[in-house]
Amino acid sequence: MKLPAMVRLTVRNVLVNTDPGTMFFMLGIPAFYLLVLGTMFQGLIPSFTQHGVTTSYTTFLAPGIVGMQAFTAGNIGGGMLWADRRWGMFEQLLVGPFRRADYLLGIMLVSVFFSLAGSGIMMALAFLINGDFNITILGAIILMAVLVLGSIFFTSLFLIISVLVRTMNAYQTITFLLFFMLDFASTAFYPVTPSTPLVLRVISTFNPLSYIVDVVRDCMLYGVSYSAWVGTGIITLLTVIFFYLSLVLYNNVRTGL
Amino acid sequence: MSGSYEYAIDVENLVKSYDGVKNAVDDVSFQIKPGEIYGLLGKNGAGKSTTIKTLTTLVPPTSGNVTICGMELRKKASQIRKLIGVVQQEEAFDFATVERNFRIYGMLWEVPADKIQSRSEDLMELFNLKEIRKKRAFELSGGQKKRLQVAREFIHDMQVLFLDEPTAGMDPIMRRSVLDFVMGKAKEGLTVLFTTQILEEADYVCDRIGIMDLGKKVAEGTSAQLKERFGSLKKLVLTATDRIPAESIPLVRAKLATVPSVTQYEVGDREITVIGKNMGKTVYSILSSLSSLSIDIDQVNLDAPSLDDVFLEVVKK
Repeated sequence: MKLPAMVRLTVRNVLVNTDPGTMFFMLGIPAFYLLVLGTMFQGLIPSFTQHGVTTSYTTFLAPGIVGMQAFTAGNIGGGMLWADRRWGMFEQLLVGPFRRADYLLGIMLVSVFFSLAGSGIMMALAFLINGDFNITILGAIILMAVLVLGSIFFTSLFLIISVLVRTMNAYQTITFLLFFMLDFASTAFYPVTPSTPLVLRVISTFNPLSYIVDVVRDCMLYGVSYSAWVGTGIITLLTVIFFYLSLVLYNNVRTGL
Repeated sequence: MSGSYEYAIDVENLVKSYDGVKNAVDDVSFQIKPGEIYGLLGKNGAGKSTTIKTLTTLVPPTSGNVTICGMELRKKASQIRKLIGVVQQEEAFDFATVERNFRIYGMLWEVPADKIQSRSEDLMELFNLKEIRKKRAFELSGGQKKRLQVAREFIHDMQVLFLDEPTAGMDPIMRRSVLDFVMGKAKEGLTVLFTTQILEEADYVCDRIGIMDLGKKVAEGTSAQLKERFGSLKKLVLTATDRIPAESIPLVRAKLATVPSVTQYEVGDREITVIGKNMGKTVYSILSSLSSLSIDIDQVNLDAPSLDDVFLEVVKK
């Protein structure tokens, strides 16, 4: 069976990213958050109420970890352009049986794949340690849609960084900063309440991961509400804007220099 | 392997300028027949790699016509890419083990799984990669990386192969083995465009050679033709009985500089190498000049020029 070029590139991207280091980054760290942080904080915060629903901290945290998979997958996918440019494979692939568009689609598809697969694994883990979730069919569809959109958004963000940043140190510093800023200043680990410091409230409001996590949380815990639709709309808009920007920059990446 | 076209590569008046001011490739034309190995020689920055990058569709030509396997480069770039193989000068690997690099590359080129298996085993054997098959590509030495890069390209079928300095970093035995393998493939019909800085290699492997300088093609022919064309040049090697005193070396150079037929010379502490025309006649005046400086010559060798000498002469012009 002949596979289309973008699918072959996606398979290649999966194969080169299933090394122990990437697997640990993609699955090990979120699993650690869920199992260790979730359990430890559960001792301090036995339960709390949001949107009129009382949940344990682990139950609250689980959608946060699921939503974070979009960010992690985007980081891996978008970072592939940087790695391929650095290690020569970008040009090698472009002198092979591929078009530029195939390469880009291969990156987007691998991010979506990792996002959905990682989220599935995190959800299964969350069900194992705390099966107290309320997912409807509509909720599942929106959840998957927002994870797909989120992974495309973050892939676009990291593609932009991959195009603009030249040195390994700068790339690693930026991704490291983003990792902490987006993960920990989002609603993944804690809800934003009126008692949250103003600076953190502002950062969290402008943090795209917060919207993804909130929609995932609605879909898994509280039911699909108006806020879930608004969140999905914001993520869709951001994804369109960032995907367009990444496309413009990607098309201007010069080869053969 | 070849299709129905007279030339596998047909380049006419190719110009490539990156900045619109200076031409990295300047009005270059050459044709390569199917099954031919054509060598592009030149100094660093002569335009060899830019020529290859243009022909492999990586950079667009500024002007000129290029046809690969009967297809116009500007119109059918994606079809051309399915028929060519490219070993770039820069390293290019997937972040994976040696054997996984073969498997991934074969999959990308739609090589059937059984062929990937058998070919990668054969290629790893031939290119001496079996012992390091479990090593990650980035852990390999420079020569091992180059071997993997060249070997991996042969996992898929192709009609034209572009090799940009493929043997850099390889030991002489492996280099010869790679060149023999490429020659074998050419006998089966593969067309090869080959660049190298090692002129002995070009002499050994190439059916024809083009010499580039400052973006232009300045000479072309078989190795024998080039030597014939610049054949009035001879290399004279004089070995002194004793070490040449340091203070005499500038005097020797000054004497040689005054000999009109001498185009090039090198004075070592015991050996004097002179390249020039009519060396048979000039040798006596050189010996006499050296004698006047009290330098006794023990041995005199007069050789035909090597491709290195031809190259130096052509590029110097």
